[in-house]
Amino acid sequence: MAIDVNTAINAYANANRIASGAAPATGAGTGTGFAKLLQQAGAGVVDALNKSEASSLQAVTGKADLAAVTEAITNAQVALQTVVAVRDRVIAAYQDIMKMPM
Amino acid sequence: MELDKSFAVAFAGMSAQSERLKVIAENLANADSTAQTPDADPYKRKIVTFENVLDRSLGVETVRVANVKTIDEGFGRRYEPGHPAADATGYVKTPNVNSITELMDMREAQRSYEANLNIIDAAKSMLGRIIDLLHG
Repeated sequence: MAIDVNTAINAYANANRIASGAAPATGAGTGTGFAKLLQQAGAGVVDALNKSEASSLQAVTGKADLAAVTEAITNAQVALQTVVAVRDRVIAAYQDIMKMPM
Repeated sequence: MELDKSFAVAFAGMSAQSERLKVIAENLANADSTAQTPDADPYKRKIVTFENVLDRSLGVETVRVANVKTIDEGFGRRYEPGHPAADATGYVKTPNVNSITELMDMREAQRSYEANLNIIDAAKSMLGRIIDLLHG
C-alpha cells in the first residue's frame, strides 16, 4: 500500500479540523494549508488559555463562580494537550522522514 | 467536540445545584425566624424549580434555575404569650420550614452535584485516553 506524504498531511489536517469542530475536508491538502491549520489551532489554545486566566482573575476578586473557572481551565487544558499531542506526532513523522536513507 | 459539550452541561448542572443549596441554607437558617408583629407573616419557605435551556452555540440542553418560589401557607403555631408576634390568644405563627425536608433536599442537591462532578471526571478521563492514543 502506497502512502504518500500528502495523504498523511491531509489526515493530520482533517484531525485538526475535527478537533476545532469543523467538518473534515475531503480534498487534497497542501503543506502550507496544514501550517495554517496548526496556526489556527495554536491561536485557539491561546484564546482558551486567555479565557481561563481571565476567569481565574475574576474568581480571585470574587466575581466568578468556581465551576465557571474550572470549566474554562479544563477547556484550556484539553485544547493545549491536544495541540501538543498533534505537534509531537508531526515532529515524529518529520524526523522519521529525515532519518530515511537517501 | 462532544466531550466538551458534556463539560458545559455538567458545569451548568453544578451551578444550578449550588443555587439550590443556597436556597436550602436560607430555609434552614430561617427555620426560627418569626414575625415582629402579630399580623405579619413569619419567614416563608422557598423552593427552586429547574428548567432546561438550549445552548445554541453548543447545541445542547443545559439546566438553570427557573425561579425561586415562595410558599406562603402551612405556617405552624406555637403558644408563647409575651412574644412580640403573639396574637390575642397567645399564639405565634412559626415558619413553614420543616428541617427534615430541608435536610433531605440538601442531600439530594449534594448527590446531584456529585453526579455532575462524576460526569466531568469521566469526560476528562475519556479525553485524556484519546490524547494518550494520539501521543502514540
